[in-house]
Amino acid sequence: MRAPRSVLKQQFLKKWMMGLQVFGSAKQSMSILERKKAIKLSADIALAATRDGRTCWSRAIIADASKDDGGKVLVQHLLSPESERLKKACTGLVMENKRVRCKKILKRSCCIKRVRKGASKVVLAKSISKRIVKRRTQVLKSLVPGGEFMDDISLIEETLDYMVSLRAQVDVMRRSLAKATEVVNGK
Amino acid sequence: MRPCSREMQGMNSLFNPSSQIPLQDLQNQQIQNSHFDPNLSSNEDFLEQMLSSCSWADPKSPWDLNPPTNLPFPTNNSSSNSAKHRDLFNETPSSNSDSNNVGFRNNFDESVILASKLRQHQISCGNGAAVSDAAKMMLPQQLLMAVARGGLSLNDDIDGSLSQGGDGSIQGLFNGFGAGSMNGTDGASNQSMQHFNHPQGGAMQSPNLGAQGAAATTAVMNQPQASGSNGGAPAQPRQRVRARRGQATDPHSIAERLRRERIAERMKALQELVPNANKTDKASMLDEIIDYVKFLQLQVKVLSMSRLGGAAAVAPLVADMSSEAGGDCIQANDNGGSLARTTNGSQTASTNDNSLTVTEHQVAKMMEEDMGTAMQYLQGKGLCLMPISLATAISTATCHNRTSGIISSHAPMHQSNGEGPTSPSMSVLTVQSMTMGNGGGDGFAKDAASVSKP
Repeated sequence: MRAPRSVLKQQFLKKWMMGLQVFGSAKQSMSILERKKAIKLSADIALAATRDGRTCWSRAIIADASKDDGGKVLVQHLLSPESERLKKACTGLVMENKRVRCKKILKRSCCIKRVRKGASKVVLAKSISKRIVKRRTQVLKSLVPGGEFMDDISLIEETLDYMVSLRAQVDVMRRSLAKATEVVNGK
Repeated sequence: MRPCSREMQGMNSLFNPSSQIPLQDLQNQQIQNSHFDPNLSSNEDFLEQMLSSCSWADPKSPWDLNPPTNLPFPTNNSSSNSAKHRDLFNETPSSNSDSNNVGFRNNFDESVILASKLRQHQISCGNGAAVSDAAKMMLPQQLLMAVARGGLSLNDDIDGSLSQGGDGSIQGLFNGFGAGSMNGTDGASNQSMQHFNHPQGGAMQSPNLGAQGAAATTAVMNQPQASGSNGGAPAQPRQRVRARRGQATDPHSIAERLRRERIAERMKALQELVPNANKTDKASMLDEIIDYVKFLQLQVKVLSMSRLGGAAAVAPLVADMSSEAGGDCIQANDNGGSLARTTNGSQTASTNDNSLTVTEHQVAKMMEEDMGTAMQYLQGKGLCLMPISLATAISTATCHNRTSGIISSHAPMHQSNGEGPTSPSMSVLTVQSMTMGNGGGDGFAKDAASVSKP
């Protein structure tokens, strides 16, 4: 297989393969849907692992995956060489995020929205656009893993990094798919 | 946006580490920068007017832009701000092989330091006249210094309305210094940004540092604009009582502006990544970003679903779907696509937004049986079949100017038990490009086929 160009892709591929090997023994007994979940899960965790916990979204992915048993095994397998404290940090992240969320809800309930009287057209347009932007940031927050707990600025940074990683992930997966098909067809 | 192409190069150099292009461009920029000198020397009196209150021993030295030797700055300033400047000037490194890069990097560090110090200075001193004087004196100097090192991009559209005015007056300012070289600074600054970012080597860090640099430059930029617009001859600045635009002393608004600038800077970095991102306002950029992230995630899902690494993989999946939703999908076809029913019937694992995946699998199943009905089904949905090579070619082409979602999945069409491929393996590609023409229903290649939506 043509080696992936960048370091990120190589790392991702290696970790993904490691993750898939965890499922290797159970391969025959799994149904299709389980397999799909396994593949996707290992791919996601591998992707998050390439960031080594430096970015918020990767920590969020790892934290979510550690919640259930299957994910926990994968996480341990993929991350244990690197850092123990990373795993602890991810588990602590969940608690912290809950706290942040509660605080935000509290703040929002206490804040009273003031309506502008006699708003001119320009002001009205501005407020409309602000609302649109706000709504869309909400959507983006729901898309990026762990995005609800970030402010605007870091949200965009995270989106940037997440997008790069996603692209790499898609590229690697597609290429390995093509290669595997070649192999299968050639047989 | 003019800087776009350069930044595109920059991001390319970030992600595909090859430093060939930037170096060549930098050399080109150096040639352009050298045009600074003859233009500037003719306007010395204007320069001296601006710098009259601060004792610069050699007013021409900032404009000495011979790149290999670093800029010789005067070291005998006696104004109150001199110590600050001197520290920064003496930080300019001695010439090394990468002197330009390092020089530019220090430019940004210095401009950041300058901007932050300036802000603190202003905030702490309040609205006094003395401060405004000092500030006014400092700012032109800083601006000139920063530009002297070729490190400013004066055409940054950080804050739309602000930059409009800013550009106009800055350009007015710099017409005296050789307007032709504005392009040089623009390119050079972007170039320097790239070099600044490239050695850092991380996509995450670059928006940060770029943001700081741009925030600093806009801070420096706005104030000279204000001062320039408020007085024809900035040599003797008038005393101002009310807060000027761009120099609101209210810390809240400064923080607000900082925040806005940072966001805009990062948006620009994102613009390079997202295809079809020629929008300049936040809302539509956010929209594009959202669509692209959704699309990428969907791609991963589809890839993982069909990337099942086995001959027997998809057949049970398809069989599952057919057993669960066999009758449904045919009826859905006749009813003109009540896809909800088929979705409910067959999708136990996929999420709701995988209607296309459902379509793909239905098509795959139908192709097993009868090509005719499969094609009819496709046409009923407004989809068509095309070779995967063509689809990828079109997708890469449309990536540059249109939103296109490409999901590729591989569904080997094997009979049960993986005895061997009885039908050619197929790649099902779904393209959601809005403006893609009808890709043609023919061309069902043996190895690859794709379903695309015109």
